[in-house]
Amino acid sequence: MDEPALISSAQQGDLNAFNTLVLRYQDSVFNAALRILGDEEPAADAAQDAFISAFKNLPAFRGGSFKAWLMRIVTNACYDELRRQKRRPTTPLEPEDEDGEDFDSPHWLADPGMTPEQKFEADELEHALQHCLNDLPADFRAVVVLADVQGMDYAEVSIAARIPLGTVKSRLARARLRLRECLRSFEELLPASFRLEGERL
Amino acid sequence: MKNRDLELLSAYLDEQLSSVEIARVELRLASDGQLAAALADMRAARKILRQLPSRKAPRNFTLTRKMVGANPPLPRSYSIFQFSSAFAALLLFITFSFNALTPRLNFAGGAADSAEPAAMQAMEAPALKAPEAAAEEPAAKLLPMPTESARVAKAPADANSPAGSPAAQIPLIWQALFLFILLAGFAGMFFLRSQAKKKWR
Repeated sequence: MDEPALISSAQQGDLNAFNTLVLRYQDSVFNAALRILGDEEPAADAAQDAFISAFKNLPAFRGGSFKAWLMRIVTNACYDELRRQKRRPTTPLEPEDEDGEDFDSPHWLADPGMTPEQKFEADELEHALQHCLNDLPADFRAVVVLADVQGMDYAEVSIAARIPLGTVKSRLARARLRLRECLRSFEELLPASFRLEGERL
Repeated sequence: MKNRDLELLSAYLDEQLSSVEIARVELRLASDGQLAAALADMRAARKILRQLPSRKAPRNFTLTRKMVGANPPLPRSYSIFQFSSAFAALLLFITFSFNALTPRLNFAGGAADSAEPAAMQAMEAPALKAPEAAAEEPAAKLLPMPTESARVAKAPADANSPAGSPAAQIPLIWQALFLFILLAGFAGMFFLRSQAKKKWR
């Protein structure tokens, strides 16, 4: 069944059709939430909330990019979570191994096909990037995640983030430069294959 | 560096510029080292963001009926019925209140209005009308004196409209129309809800 047919069925209350869409988009939605929130558990909750909200509001979907529409809902869920975190700050629990020791990085989620070196490199990159993303204001972070991590075009980002096209351009430009500045401080930590281009120092 | 230049560079990187703008940016890039460096920074940041590993969703986010609630999703047309019946109810209330309150307000206002000129007339009468009184007296005597009952019957009409016209009331047909819309809206909502429930089952 193609996407418009699934959406149409889901709009009539067909939960199975909607769940097919969920399976199709759940990785993208979860990744967007993860990069905006920077933590897996709240990201999974935000993704779940987003899908529930999407199903309830599906009759209001008026065509266009379904992914952009979904991303708008998950972005809103992430903003809600960030506001909640701001009101009630908590200390995140670090993952522990069997002896109760903290892991340095969440290796258990790495691709099992990777060599140990590749895993290490990927973890290092991910940590550095997530740290820099977390340093950005939430509005900038959402735009850069949608455009550069999710690969959405400007028009889709504009729909997903509910901001004008001009604001997308300006936030994306400034977010990229701020990220570049931040990543400079991690240059030595990053594996050789991820070194930044255009190093002039 | 100006924000405008940053936005141009970012859009240039994402191939979001027109051919004329591209030519203009490339001309500037050739002569402006700072601009070229900023472009290299942005390109590097974007490249790294795109290499960020995509995580798999930690669980399936598929929905159950329990998660989305007992009520089925309602079609978009439901909100039209909802809005129209709410609007009709509001108009019905306003027209009913207007028709109920207008005569009372006019009576109170009219009584005050009619009392004032009478008092003023009484004060002015001895000075201004004393010479004329004798001349008018025979004519006045020809007219029959209004009885008390006639005066009482005339009072509300005068009070409602000092100009002598009957009280302005919203015709009953409008109230009937609003009531009809309200009931039709309720019937529509009931029908759509029962149809949605049937599909939900």
